[in-house]
Amino acid sequence: MFTTPRLILIALGAALNFSIGTVVYLLKLPIYLDSIGTILAALLLAPDRRAAFVCAWAAAWASLALSGLVNPFLPWFAMTDVAIALVTALLTVGAAATFRAHPLRSSSFAAQVVLCGVATGVVSAVVSLPVVVYLFGGVTGSGSAFLVALFLESGQRLMNAAMLSGLVNDPLDKVLQVLLAAMLYRVTPGDFIALLRG
Amino acid sequence: MTPNGAFTVGLVLIAMSLTNPGPRGSAILIALALAFAIIEVRGAALVALRRAALIVLPLALFMGLLWVGIVGKAPAEIAAGAAGTRAAALIYVARLCGRLLFIVAVVQLVIMRFDALTPLQLIRALALPVAAKRVLVITLSLIATLRHAIDRAHIALIAAGTLTRAASLRNAVHSWRLIQAVWLSAVTIMLGRMRDKWPVENTLSLLDRSLETGSARLFAGDDRIWLPITVGAAIMALIADRIGAS
Amino acid sequence: MGRRELISGPNFSGRSGALMTLLRDGAFAAQSFYVGPYSEAALSGLSSTIADEIGIYRAKPEIAPGAQARRAFAPLDFAALGRREPQTLSGGEQVLLALHCFSLSAYSALAIDTAFEQLDRENREHALAYLDPHGPVANVALIDNRLPPLPGWRTTERAADTAEFDCDPRRPVADLPRRDAPAIDISGLRFSYRRGPDIFRAVDLSLRGGAAYRLAGPNGAGKTTLLKLLVGVLAPTAGAVTLGGERYRPWRTGNRAIALATQNPDHQWCGATLRDDLARRRAAFAGHAPAERLSEARNGDVAASLGIRSLDAHLYELPLAARKRLSWLWPLSGALPWLMLDEPSLGQDLNTRLRLAEALSGLVALGYGVLFVTHDDDFAARVPHRVLALGEGQIKTT
Repeated sequence: MFTTPRLILIALGAALNFSIGTVVYLLKLPIYLDSIGTILAALLLAPDRRAAFVCAWAAAWASLALSGLVNPFLPWFAMTDVAIALVTALLTVGAAATFRAHPLRSSSFAAQVVLCGVATGVVSAVVSLPVVVYLFGGVTGSGSAFLVALFLESGQRLMNAAMLSGLVNDPLDKVLQVLLAAMLYRVTPGDFIALLRG
Repeated sequence: MTPNGAFTVGLVLIAMSLTNPGPRGSAILIALALAFAIIEVRGAALVALRRAALIVLPLALFMGLLWVGIVGKAPAEIAAGAAGTRAAALIYVARLCGRLLFIVAVVQLVIMRFDALTPLQLIRALALPVAAKRVLVITLSLIATLRHAIDRAHIALIAAGTLTRAASLRNAVHSWRLIQAVWLSAVTIMLGRMRDKWPVENTLSLLDRSLETGSARLFAGDDRIWLPITVGAAIMALIADRIGAS
Repeated sequence: MGRRELISGPNFSGRSGALMTLLRDGAFAAQSFYVGPYSEAALSGLSSTIADEIGIYRAKPEIAPGAQARRAFAPLDFAALGRREPQTLSGGEQVLLALHCFSLSAYSALAIDTAFEQLDRENREHALAYLDPHGPVANVALIDNRLPPLPGWRTTERAADTAEFDCDPRRPVADLPRRDAPAIDISGLRFSYRRGPDIFRAVDLSLRGGAAYRLAGPNGAGKTTLLKLLVGVLAPTAGAVTLGGERYRPWRTGNRAIALATQNPDHQWCGATLRDDLARRRAAFAGHAPAERLSEARNGDVAASLGIRSLDAHLYELPLAARKRLSWLWPLSGALPWLMLDEPSLGQDLNTRLRLAEALSGLVALGYGVLFVTHDDDFAARVPHRVLALGEGQIKTT
């Protein structure tokens, strides 16, 4: 399972997860994209779903371990990362051929991105819920917190409010992340992918 | 004290803070953390505490704005269908942020305890499989490489009119080009290393030798004092408020 | 006396392949330390601090008891820099770090693929002296585009084995009409990074079109900072910049003046294919550059002059020397009046370097302005230029 190229892939995925925060900061983007490396690591091992799951999981936890030193709120979402790796291996990896098809089939590409992104987002929101509610009181510091407030104001209990906010916010975020991962997968040199298979 | 010992102490403290201890239990945990800070971390503890405050403060302000300013009641009051008060919301935010601050402070104290070690020395000391250590080491190196690549590509893409310095729609639309440039340059570098430098030098075997620990023991030295004290304190924290109540 | 192999020849003559074959040979096999082109290929990729990089390679006596005690190569005090990331060093300093690690290691042989071209003259001489056949290193195999045959070295001359990437950077310049690049005038420039010391302190500088300027100064003197200010990545703390007499604030309006070629070509691509990259630049500068200079057809011709004949070429999958040449496309296209090139001649054979120098001189004669950074004094001498000496908060023109 853990050949040298796959260890490199895990490290690359983890480093990408960690570093995207720098890009977001430099470009003043109002989002936080922290799982692109995880999703991309899985895609690069398509169609081997088992390897995709294991390596994506490892990439996610490696970046979490290091990010935790800088942003100590992230390690609490460790199970969310496992869930993202699982959904990616089961679903998104199945779309790998579409993502890499030449010429590009735009409608299939877009449909797969939306499907995989929404599924990943819904699962991510559900798995994150206990941590968001219990540890952070429904507030993780991102703009979604205002959605939570909106739902609370309307009389929803905290758990429901946080769930509704997550189900609105997370799928949008994950669709974007799947899109970026798919675009990077599309342009990754074939030599590198061949090394991962060997 | 070994990193394994310090991480274990930290993990126990954090786990205990999540069990919602009462005043006595909280006092025990804070006392243990302070003892760790004073005895093991010493002067650097102030740096750790300052960092923790800087990390938690923005979130605390945000939570205060949300719960006290906007919602105006605590979750328990919402659940009970009560009218609720801002005072209850404030207490809720204070307890939540207090716990967060404690957790972040413990993490920073453990980090500062080993500030003198290089990353390789720290990773070597951890009780992890060699493959995991390899991944952490390579990831850290790649993070530095990516950071450099991000800086250089950012300059070049601004020069090429593709990105802007300030927030803009152009950045939102074209940020993927920066990510793409960084990803592909990293893949190219790693392909080169895997083809040329590493096979020629057998560099990874050098790394493995550097990661091998001299001792097979998980804990050593002052760990043997801290770990029993930590476990004892954890048990006391669990029962302290219950004894008081009964 | 150790074995010394110098592999010479033009680009695309299979020198790197020959080096790899040599490294499987008896005297080199399983004992070689490798320093590849570009700083990222010099380092192990396994460390995040300089101390760890050294620690990984330092010979452990219990493992290599027979390893000869070798004089260490230490042109810089790397111990004092121990906590820094190796990537914060300049390219040349990273190569010196690699040599330092080799000198402390148990490897008996050293292979260098054009890495010495990143060193300034003094460090290059220092490094070559360390590799003297009578010196402390057993066996060395070297590729370098700027070294003549050396005494005590066996030189293997290779011939080009493909014309696929044949390159003449003078061709696109020959077609360009005259362009009087507007002067860049800087007055009272002041800049410091947050809570840091002044990088520039009340700098007055006048850069004229129709001239070339070589930026010189030690690492940290502000070469990258000046570039960032001129293309608008940073805004000055104080002072004003004019372009052709008019107020120029690229940090607000974007870069309209400078076509940049980065030291590592992979840092500058706007797309994964050449077509995508050119399309992006065309879109970005439509209305700000002559339409003819932005056309896909014209730039396709420029790319062909630089050795890439297909616009669908995958940029990152081209050979390194070809990528470096393609990095000159945007500056040589003539789209923007000023050019900035960072170590443009790295990894290029003599013929290509001469032609590039002619191309840049040609652009200067047409009225373009050229800024460049290079450690290659011979290359610099072929482009008539003035020196911009950066240091101590000032920029002096000599």
